[in-house]
Amino acid sequence: MRDRQSGKSTSVLGRAIAVAAAMLGFAATSGSAQVAGGELVLAQSANPPSLDAMTSSSESARNINMNIFEALVAIDENVDPIPMLAKSIEASDDLLTYVFPLREGVLFHNGKEMTAEDVKASLERYREMGATRGMLDKVKEIEITGPYEVTFHMSEATPTFIEGFSSPRAPAVIIPAEEAAKPANEIEIIGTGPFRFVEFVPDDHVTLERFDGYVPNEDFQGATGFGGKKTAYLDRAIYRIIPEAGARVAALEAGEVQWADQIPVPAAKRMMSDETLNVYEARQWAFMTFIMNWNLPPTDDVNFRRAVLYAIEPEEVMAIATEGFYDLNHGWQYPGRTYNAGDIGKEIYETAHPDKAREFLAQSDYAGEEFLILTDPNYAEHSRAAVVLAGQLNAIGINAVVKQHDWATVLKIRHSDEGWNGWTLMQGLEPFLGPYGMAAKMTGDKTHMRGTDPVFDEAYDRLITGKTVQDRQQAFADIQTAIYDLVPQIKLGDVGRMQAGSARLKGFRPFRAPRLNDIWLED
Amino acid sequence: MTGKAQAHSAAMASAWGARARLGLGMALRHRSIRVGGVLFGFVVLLAVFADLIAPFDPNKNNFRALLSAPDAVNIFGTDAFGRDILSRVIHGTRLSLLVGLLVVVATGVLGVILGTLTGYLRWLDGPVMRVMDGLMAFPGILLAIALAAVLGPSVANAALALTITFTPRTARIVRSSVLVLKEMPYVEAARACGASHTRLVLKHILPNALPPLIVQLTFVFSISILAEAVLSFMGVGPPPPTPSLGNIIAEGRSYIQEAPWVALTPGIAIAMSVLGLNIIGDGLRDTLDPRLRNL
Amino acid sequence: MTRYIFSRALSAIPVLFVVSLVTFLLMWLVPGDVASHIAGPDATEAELEAIRQRLQLDQPLHVQALHWYANLLRGDLGQSYLLHRPVLDAVVERLPVTLSLACMSLVLAVSFGVLLGVLAATKHDTWVDQVTMTGALLGLSLPDFWFGLVLIFFFAVGMGWFPTGGYTPFAESPLGWLRSMTLPAVTLAITQMGVIARMVRSSMLEQLGQDYIRTARAKGMPRGLVVFKHALRNALIPVITLVGIMTGLLLGGTVVIEVVYSLPGVGRLIIGAIQSRDYPIVQGGLLMTAAIFVFVNIAVDILYTIVDPRVRHDR
Repeated sequence: MRDRQSGKSTSVLGRAIAVAAAMLGFAATSGSAQVAGGELVLAQSANPPSLDAMTSSSESARNINMNIFEALVAIDENVDPIPMLAKSIEASDDLLTYVFPLREGVLFHNGKEMTAEDVKASLERYREMGATRGMLDKVKEIEITGPYEVTFHMSEATPTFIEGFSSPRAPAVIIPAEEAAKPANEIEIIGTGPFRFVEFVPDDHVTLERFDGYVPNEDFQGATGFGGKKTAYLDRAIYRIIPEAGARVAALEAGEVQWADQIPVPAAKRMMSDETLNVYEARQWAFMTFIMNWNLPPTDDVNFRRAVLYAIEPEEVMAIATEGFYDLNHGWQYPGRTYNAGDIGKEIYETAHPDKAREFLAQSDYAGEEFLILTDPNYAEHSRAAVVLAGQLNAIGINAVVKQHDWATVLKIRHSDEGWNGWTLMQGLEPFLGPYGMAAKMTGDKTHMRGTDPVFDEAYDRLITGKTVQDRQQAFADIQTAIYDLVPQIKLGDVGRMQAGSARLKGFRPFRAPRLNDIWLED
Repeated sequence: MTGKAQAHSAAMASAWGARARLGLGMALRHRSIRVGGVLFGFVVLLAVFADLIAPFDPNKNNFRALLSAPDAVNIFGTDAFGRDILSRVIHGTRLSLLVGLLVVVATGVLGVILGTLTGYLRWLDGPVMRVMDGLMAFPGILLAIALAAVLGPSVANAALALTITFTPRTARIVRSSVLVLKEMPYVEAARACGASHTRLVLKHILPNALPPLIVQLTFVFSISILAEAVLSFMGVGPPPPTPSLGNIIAEGRSYIQEAPWVALTPGIAIAMSVLGLNIIGDGLRDTLDPRLRNL
Repeated sequence: MTRYIFSRALSAIPVLFVVSLVTFLLMWLVPGDVASHIAGPDATEAELEAIRQRLQLDQPLHVQALHWYANLLRGDLGQSYLLHRPVLDAVVERLPVTLSLACMSLVLAVSFGVLLGVLAATKHDTWVDQVTMTGALLGLSLPDFWFGLVLIFFFAVGMGWFPTGGYTPFAESPLGWLRSMTLPAVTLAITQMGVIARMVRSSMLEQLGQDYIRTARAKGMPRGLVVFKHALRNALIPVITLVGIMTGLLLGGTVVIEVVYSLPGVGRLIIGAIQSRDYPIVQGGLLMTAAIFVFVNIAVDILYTIVDPRVRHDR
């Protein structure tokens, strides 16, 4: 049912196509000449739970997988969708069909050429077991329309479809058709990326090797985001698994590794004066949030939740939780991003309002029961934020208690109505990817706060289907207004991430995952 | 960790058999007990009077003085919350000793009950001891970590996990004493005179089984302090912001280069407490159990 | 003798049964499950349920237990949920690390422990005795993970003599292996050295007081010869028992050391599996460590009866 009149080529899609057409690309960092060869050792804190990229949305898997695998669509440096294995993205005006012509001659690590068969098989597998398969919910059918072309038939027009489809959270990567037939986590690790998988020794290391048969995307001038024209200089990359932050720092300073993730801020500050090291500050890494449980007293009471909101002094929470590397930001989008909703809620956020907090507390039914703050020791920021929050809430007469469990238990508890009132959580990818992921967590039946309000449902619907950017911006502004009124979650601030590398490592720019392409080691 | 207990107690259990009387006066004259007593007594004083001695509230944050170096105000510096390390270590000592004490009491009670029953009642011996053997076959600290993960982090649960871990060996020591003692001529004589089982156990057997138990419990105490630190280090100890010595080390370990005072100070406090207890334990063993005097 | 060995070996069965049952119950009681670990923080209840079904976690306890024991009898410890390989392989491939660490620290602890113990015994009641024994006691009193951090701080970061962590397989580079194992082994050895030194000392003192030593001395044998040939040989017999106990200490002690030094050993495997709720690994790993402990102790008991036949009659 193609209706040319009702579907104007609107901006989300328009931009995607425009970008594809213009083929923007960042040139590789200029300055020094690239050096081919060498072995880069990276340190990260955790094992990848799986190298089957579709099935895992964990950061430690993404750090590795984004170099092995590629998807039809990727994000560029500005988080806008760009074609990757697709040659272009051609949407019908009614947004009910998307045609993806494929790049020809792209080789898998096993030497086979990628065809439409592989693409369909991979995406069908993703619909079945992909960790974020919801992004393909509106795809009715994936049709092979040529040896190098697939066509998506949609059940409903969704202006934001391509943005969702480009998400690197658990990317919809393309793998050989025979692998796609295998169950989750039982595939051979074969992708089309510039590096191929060599070995994984759990708790020790993952080794990747340059894939010499890699076919770069010549439509771009250089690499950008997770796409563009990628060039691999390194021979090998070894990801060492070092859980202890102090040990990662020590390994970097001893020259055993040339890049390390999650550097404690005090160590990063010390390293800044070391000329043999570069410190990379990724400022807008995550939102520190405090999620409320709407189904358990006392947080089922909106006035109580308001009391919590008004009692919080974000600067103290953020300074301690992040070891001093943070930005105060009341917004539910980063400053400068398209959907940033301006000053809504700023006045409430900026400082604690103890008098107003007590007022709200008095209006609520609160009778001194425990306010359980759920947190975990696996992410030190969560735990530190919880401790500071408890102190601030105790000060206005709320009986806040920190309930620390290990991460697996926390994930279990927060799926129930019992055992928690507030939960400290850093949300990294959702705000990075834009407004949709954030808003989705407050609507429907899988909300963070275990309940919802019609105002969120209604605004989310406008956010997803709004025809113009202005419409959607207004929808998001309405959501932010509602957040500061109904308090499903409390924004505490923006968390930064410190990474550091040897000064010999050139061309590195922090992104959602370390990119092994277009970086090299100077002798 | 528990290996230390195993080493001590195995040595004791294998050679045990003498009837030594608890002589407090003798114990106090013993040099090790005096040295250990002074060392451990100091730690106990800190713990008991923590509220009076600690210069600051151990949970008072100061985000303008994060990880500040030792100075006139915070003589052992501050931690990543800007809290005073000295105050936290003093309060942490209290918590570590509390955990140790809980474990000692619980292990002692359970050990006596299980050890006496199995030593006295033949039919109970087999099944109970198989379970104890099974528990002892685990590497102790792994069992404690697994238990703490199951129970969830709290002071009481940490103590419970350690009690389950340390009870089997304690029970075994009591049992082996009971086995020897119940065959002793004076016990047989009492039995011949018509003493009830309860009277036999309470009046004649248990008092004489106490000395090796007391020595064992001293070591359970010191191992519990070390084990609490390990549980906290592994993230399954008492939850924050509770200042336990293990928690403070765990929180300071990322800053060992920039702020070594955070992790070093509580480590020294642990070493002092444990050393004091171990010296006392040695002295007690010398006085209470002459056969092991040289150990 | 054969009967004795046989009966000792049989006695391992009920112990290992208890071990397996306890691990099974522990994992049943632990809150949280592997499904949420696999699916991540955004998973819905339906997605979690699907994973639980796939892993057969929705079956009742007794069904899972029967299934597990049936496989165990066939020598199959099951399949890891997260590592995507058999539990047996996952544990066995970690053994070299843990055994390297355990053996090296055992060698260090025994050689220095015996040396210090003999020294203290021969210089009984002098300052040498007191210093060594206080040192031994101090070694017993240090939190080992904390001591590990201190060693990293001084010798890896400060001096740069050793790597800060990580494991180099022996086959890859013998020197690298030695360097990567030195600090962890020293950390672990410190506590055990204290235990051994104290035991050797007391055992030596007992022997030195025996009649045969006095006789040998009276016959004019040199003191050094008496000490090393006669006294030490007999004094070391009870130390054999210690090796059995030491196995337990090593298997437990390596856990924390592996974490501090980022070594991919069995202990870290089990700890990681506890945290991620990879039940088959926890069950299989604990069962295998316990089995090693039990069988080493049986071997020690048997060895002991061979070295010192009196013991057999005592039992």
